[in-house]
Amino acid sequence: METKYIIAAVVAVVAIIGIGAFALGGGHTEHAENELVACVAAHGEEPEFGFDPMHGWGYHDSGTEPLIQSTILKRDKDNNFVNDLATDYSISDDFTEYTVTIRDDVKFTDGSKLTANDVAFSYNKAKELGEGADLSSLKEAKADGNKVVFTLNKSDSTFINKLTDVGIVPEAGYNEDSYGQNPIGSGPYKLAQWDKGQQFILEKNPDYYGPEPYFEKITNLFLDPDAAFAAVKNGDVDIAEVQVAYANEKVDGYHMEYFDSIDVRGISLPTQMDEGKLSEDNLTIGNNVTGDPAIREALNIGIDREALLEGALNGYGNVSYNGVADQLAWSFDSTFEDGQVDQAKEVLKAAGWEDTNGDGIVEKDGKPAAFDVYYNAQASERQAIAVAVAEQAKEIGIEITPVGGSWDDIGPNIYSQGVVWGFGSADPMEIEHQYDSRVANVGYDNAEGLIDPTVDSLIDSAKSQELESSYATWSQAAQQATSQYPYLWIGTMDYTYFVSDSLDISNSTHLIYPHGGDIWGNIYDWKRVNTTDS
Amino acid sequence: MSEMPWYNKGLFSSLNLRQKTLLTIALTALLLLVIFISGTLINANLPTDFSIKMQGPSFEHIFGTDWMGRDMFIRTLKGLSLSIMIGLGASILSSIIATLLAFLASVNKYTDTLVSWLIDLFASIPHILLIMMISLGLGKGAFGVTMAVAFSHWVNLTRVLRAEVLQIKTSEFVQLSSKFGRSKLWIAKEHILPLILSQIFVGTLLVFPHAIMHESSVTFLGFGLSPHEPAIGIILSESMSYLAMGAWWLAFFPGVALLIVVLLFDIIGDNLKRLFDPSEANN
Repeated sequence: METKYIIAAVVAVVAIIGIGAFALGGGHTEHAENELVACVAAHGEEPEFGFDPMHGWGYHDSGTEPLIQSTILKRDKDNNFVNDLATDYSISDDFTEYTVTIRDDVKFTDGSKLTANDVAFSYNKAKELGEGADLSSLKEAKADGNKVVFTLNKSDSTFINKLTDVGIVPEAGYNEDSYGQNPIGSGPYKLAQWDKGQQFILEKNPDYYGPEPYFEKITNLFLDPDAAFAAVKNGDVDIAEVQVAYANEKVDGYHMEYFDSIDVRGISLPTQMDEGKLSEDNLTIGNNVTGDPAIREALNIGIDREALLEGALNGYGNVSYNGVADQLAWSFDSTFEDGQVDQAKEVLKAAGWEDTNGDGIVEKDGKPAAFDVYYNAQASERQAIAVAVAEQAKEIGIEITPVGGSWDDIGPNIYSQGVVWGFGSADPMEIEHQYDSRVANVGYDNAEGLIDPTVDSLIDSAKSQELESSYATWSQAAQQATSQYPYLWIGTMDYTYFVSDSLDISNSTHLIYPHGGDIWGNIYDWKRVNTTDS
Repeated sequence: MSEMPWYNKGLFSSLNLRQKTLLTIALTALLLLVIFISGTLINANLPTDFSIKMQGPSFEHIFGTDWMGRDMFIRTLKGLSLSIMIGLGASILSSIIATLLAFLASVNKYTDTLVSWLIDLFASIPHILLIMMISLGLGKGAFGVTMAVAFSHWVNLTRVLRAEVLQIKTSEFVQLSSKFGRSKLWIAKEHILPLILSQIFVGTLLVFPHAIMHESSVTFLGFGLSPHEPAIGIILSESMSYLAMGAWWLAFFPGVALLIVVLLFDIIGDNLKRLFDPSEANN
């Protein structure tokens, strides 16, 4: 017995010393002025297949800066398209053919010339693998001299967005299994080293054709959220992306920068009744509670989004009633106000949902208004949203049970229960993924199973209009869809960074932050500043 | 054997040893029962209040509050009762397994070899690994964890019971009974089971602390319950993210509470052993 306690005491002491040593940190690592140490990454994760755009590097819901590769077009801070590899492009009147002229002074880091062939190859390969950008409307990309011709299988005016999504790889010697470890590209940086699970190191590409970035070397660490915050406290990193939970902390030598995003969180509410229907992969479709429009409407008007954001996101976010962030050209005003608990109860009552047994939860035909909401257990903000929504829903008489798990656990339930999703693309194609009945219950598309021919035809008509004018039609499609409350949209979340006082990340030139976006978009404008000045 | 423990000295010295032991058992059992019952009365979906999140210990919230403004005392209590429940299920189940296997071992020498082999097999795999595998295989959740802990904690008790059964089997009254034509089942039920019952009982209680510790570790590692459920392991693993922010109370109080509960079970188990086991009666 005695020895047991001694062992326990020793373990406790060792643990305390260990944690203490970890919290206080080791030596402060010095690095040169033009070297940058960061801890930021799209979605906070290491790319599984390395830095291979064919496997999705540099893309997440919409294109992000791949750093190592070039893209045909890029976005600027106002979300306009600007040329990267392209010098010019033209679009056929029916939006089925896109012709891009490629600049001829670009070299890959292995010294070979980047040609139209490489561009065509990259797009065809990316379509074949289907892991990154949605290239479903592309039939074929073909090189013609210094031009690339993209032929589509249907009219799609949003396809120009896809020209920002795929980093260009050299056709010669490309191997889809090994490229990600030794990427050869033509972007502002080249990969010097990748220590899996720890960090990657980039060095400036001396042959880069575009604006020269200030930093010679970028080291990006892969750290867990708490380790990232500890690294900030130790002064080991120049910039670290942190969860909003840490955003109110103060650290000497650092300041907090946060950027609005179009990265929206919402809970899908299955719109169909459970009538034994199965999806292609044999998953149950529909839910007999959320299948009633009254339940979905009551939740949407009864929930207090402002309070949710204040709590779940520490206030670092903006409310969204319809899943389209305000920054987007197809955004629209909400048709309803929220936080109306009494009115939500009225809606339920009118539809026959009443609390007959006095447990605070409404019933209809003896069936209580109860369903599950699944969330990814890795994401604390999703957990907070699920739990807080469940609590608010109880006030209007709906019982939501939050269930946390990995995406593998969530997968079997995505068509039959609520799921906390993250969305947000600068490409209006997202509306199709969310609401088009022709992709209903396919993968993560239209998981709520919304079937509305009006939405479908609006989407079709939008895709055959000029991009600028199509935004109004996209907006109509989204309005038509959201009028049936297929989601409980909550809000967009800010991207929060601790930035060293010696680093200027040029706040005015940041690109739009899509879901899974990162901060590298304006790396060309970053520089070191003298801390004594500020 | 060992010295009289501190909790049997002093204050109640006017009582005799048996009374003191009984008193100790009663008090600790009462305390655990209070924790367990009050925990089960708490709704698992604790109220969140973001306006009071991440507050240190105060008189209103003696264990502080977490990142969603939930009271850590209530959460810890709920977590402990969940742990006790899982521990209870797991230790009863593992004792049943152990008893069955002990009797199986006594049937003949082949079954004895089989049981010994099973014991060696399970004893050779690290507990945590085994628990993680079983829990994952059974789809995690409270059910998976209970099963996993049950199926990994029968080994020690089986070993003890097997020896005990073998010893009783060779005693004269059993031999005699068998000569009189009593069936093996009757002997097992009427002669052997009553004699090893106290062993089983004490064994069950002594598995308890292990079960609770392992349940917490496996949920700590994320192979158990959903992160919003108030299990102690989850509370502790969640607190890791906030230690860097200086929120020590998120880890300290639940950890100490877990330690106390485990110690209480240990005390009950030891005292019961003292009461039941004739070889320790003189202590």
